[in-house]
Amino acid sequence: MKLFPVDYLILALYFAFVLGIGWRLRKGISSSGDFLTSGRSVPVWITSLAFIAANLGAVELIGMAASGAKYGIMTAHFYWLGAIPAMLFMGIFMMPFYYGSKARSVPEYLKMRFDEKTRAFNAFSFAVMTIFSSGISMYALGLLLKLVLGWSFNVSVLASAAIVLAYTFLGGLTSAIYNEVLQFLLIALGFAPLAILSVMKVGGWQGIVSNLASEPYMTHAWKYMGSPTENAMGVEIFGMVAGLGFVLSFGYWCTNFLVVQRAMAAESMSAARRTPLIGTIPKMFLPFIVIMPGIAAVVLAKMNLGYTLPVKATGGPDYDQVLTTLMTQFYPAGLLGVGMTGLMASFMSGMAGNVTAFNTVWTYDIYQSYIRKGASDHHYLTVGRVTTVVGVLLSIAAAYVATRYNNIMDLLQLVFGCVNAPLFATFLLGMFWKRTTAHGAFTGLTSGTAAAFLTLSCTQAEGKGGWIAQLHQFPSQMAQNFWIAIVAFATCFIVSVLVSLVTKPRPDKEMEGLVYGLTKVPHDVTAKWYQRPAPLTIAVIIMLVILNIWFR
Amino acid sequence: MDLRVPSGWFFSLLGLILLGMGVFAPDTRAALTTANVNFYAGACMLVFGLFLLLLAWRATRSNR
Repeated sequence: MKLFPVDYLILALYFAFVLGIGWRLRKGISSSGDFLTSGRSVPVWITSLAFIAANLGAVELIGMAASGAKYGIMTAHFYWLGAIPAMLFMGIFMMPFYYGSKARSVPEYLKMRFDEKTRAFNAFSFAVMTIFSSGISMYALGLLLKLVLGWSFNVSVLASAAIVLAYTFLGGLTSAIYNEVLQFLLIALGFAPLAILSVMKVGGWQGIVSNLASEPYMTHAWKYMGSPTENAMGVEIFGMVAGLGFVLSFGYWCTNFLVVQRAMAAESMSAARRTPLIGTIPKMFLPFIVIMPGIAAVVLAKMNLGYTLPVKATGGPDYDQVLTTLMTQFYPAGLLGVGMTGLMASFMSGMAGNVTAFNTVWTYDIYQSYIRKGASDHHYLTVGRVTTVVGVLLSIAAAYVATRYNNIMDLLQLVFGCVNAPLFATFLLGMFWKRTTAHGAFTGLTSGTAAAFLTLSCTQAEGKGGWIAQLHQFPSQMAQNFWIAIVAFATCFIVSVLVSLVTKPRPDKEMEGLVYGLTKVPHDVTAKWYQRPAPLTIAVIIMLVILNIWFR
Repeated sequence: MDLRVPSGWFFSLLGLILLGMGVFAPDTRAALTTANVNFYAGACMLVFGLFLLLLAWRATRSNR
C-alpha cells in the first residue's frame, strides 16, 4: 500500500484534533476525580458511544474482518449474542449498584460489597491485564504499519505512545472518552464505504449467498450450529449460547472496568443506566461494517476479478490481512488516508482506554488503599498523572516483550481468559443474593480461576493447552475458550454459594445500596417515555430478534 | 466543551478534502471500483459534520 500526500494530510488533521481536544480539556482538571473518573459529568450520547468504542480497538476491527472471511456471518454472534444481552442486563440490573454505590471503580465495588482480599485480587489482576492489553495494541500497530506501509516498528510504537500519553496526560479520562467517540465516528464513516462497495461488487447479500452455495454455513448464523462439525467455527449451540452468550459476554460487558468505567462517568444515574442501553443500537449494526467486508472478500476471491485472499509466508490464507488488502482494492488516495487514520486511531484509543482504566485502579485501589492512605486530593491527582506516564512506559515495555517472545502474548491471553471467566458469577451472587459472604466470594473466585486453569491444562485445541493431561480434544480453540468459561463460572457459583451458607452473613444495614432488595432503584419520573430503560430495551430486543431471524 | 463542535469541524474539513479530491482529481480510482468514491464519501462526511455543528449551535442558543 502506498500513501499519497493527501492521505498524510488527513492523518495530520486527525491527530491535530485529538491533541487539540486534550489541550482544551486540560483546564477542566482540578481534582483527582476530574482526572480519573471525569467528575461524573459526561453527557449520555458520549458515554454510550465510548462504551462500545472502548471495545472496538483495531485488533478487533482487523479480527472481525478476518473472522468474517474465516467463519462467515456466524461471527456476528460476537455482537448479537455475545454483547447485546449482556449490555441490556448491565444497564437495567447492574448499573444501579455500580453507580448508586458511589464506587469509583469495579474493584472498589467489590471492596464495599465483600472485603479487601476480593478487591486486591481483582485490582492486581486487572492492572496487569490492562498493561499487557495496551502493549499488545501497540505491538500490533507497529507490525501492521511495518507490513502495510513499510514504516519503522520503533517509530510507529514510540510515536503512537507519545500521542496517547499527551492527550491522556492533559485531559485524563474525559480526554480518552472524547477521543474514543471521535475515533468511533471515524471508523463508522470511514469503513462503511468499504462495506458498501465490496458488498455491491459481489452482487449484494443475494450475490454472497449464491456464490457461497457450496459453503452454506458462511451465510447462516444459526442453521449450522447443531454440531461442531457442521460449521467452520467448530462450536455447537450450547457452547455458543452458554459460553459466549452468557459467561464470556456477561463477564466482559458487566464486570470489565475498562467498559464499566465509561458508564460510571455519566452525569446521572439515569444517564449511567441508559449508557449501555443506547450503546446496543449502534453495536447491533456494527457487524455490517466490520464483518461483511470479510465475507465479501471470500466471494471476491472466487469471482476472478483480480483479487485473491492474502497468503501467509508459511502457506494458507492470512485472514488478518483481509481488511487492509480490501482497502487497497476499493479506496483511492484520499479515502485510503481516512481508512488508515481510522485504523491507527482505533489502535491508539485501545491503548488509551487501557491506560486510563489502569490509572484509576492503580491510584484508588492500589496506591490509596495499600501504599498511602489519607493524603490530600492534590496528591492523588499528581499520582494519577505520574501513573499515566508510568502506564504508557510499561505498555511500551510490554510491546517489546511481545516482539521478542511472540508466544508469550498468546499464552497471556489464555491466562487472562482464565482470570476473567469466573468473575461474573461473583458479581451476580454479590448483587442479587444478599446472603453471599466475603469469604464465599473470595473462595469462589479463586477456585473458579483454578478450575479454568485446570480445564485449560487438561484439554487441548489446535495445539494449545493440555500441559498436564489430554483428557479431551476440542475441535477449535474457540470451543475450548467457551467451555473453560462455562466450567469456571459453574465452579465459582457453586463454591461461593456453599461457602456463603456456612460462613457468617453480613448485617443487611451494611449492604444498603449494594445489593438487590436492599437498594431503591430510582424511577426517573421526569424522563420522557423513550428515555426510560424499559421501552428502550423492548425496542432493542425486537430489532435483535428480527436480525437473527433474517440471518438465521 | 461540547464534543459536537470539534467533531463537527473535523468531519466538515475531512469532507471538504475528500470532495476536493473528487472534483479536482476525479480519475483517482481504486482497482475494483469505477465510482468516484472520494466525491460521495466526502459529501456524506461534510453533511454529517455540518449536522453536528448545527446541533451544537442550536444547543448554545437554547441555553442562552
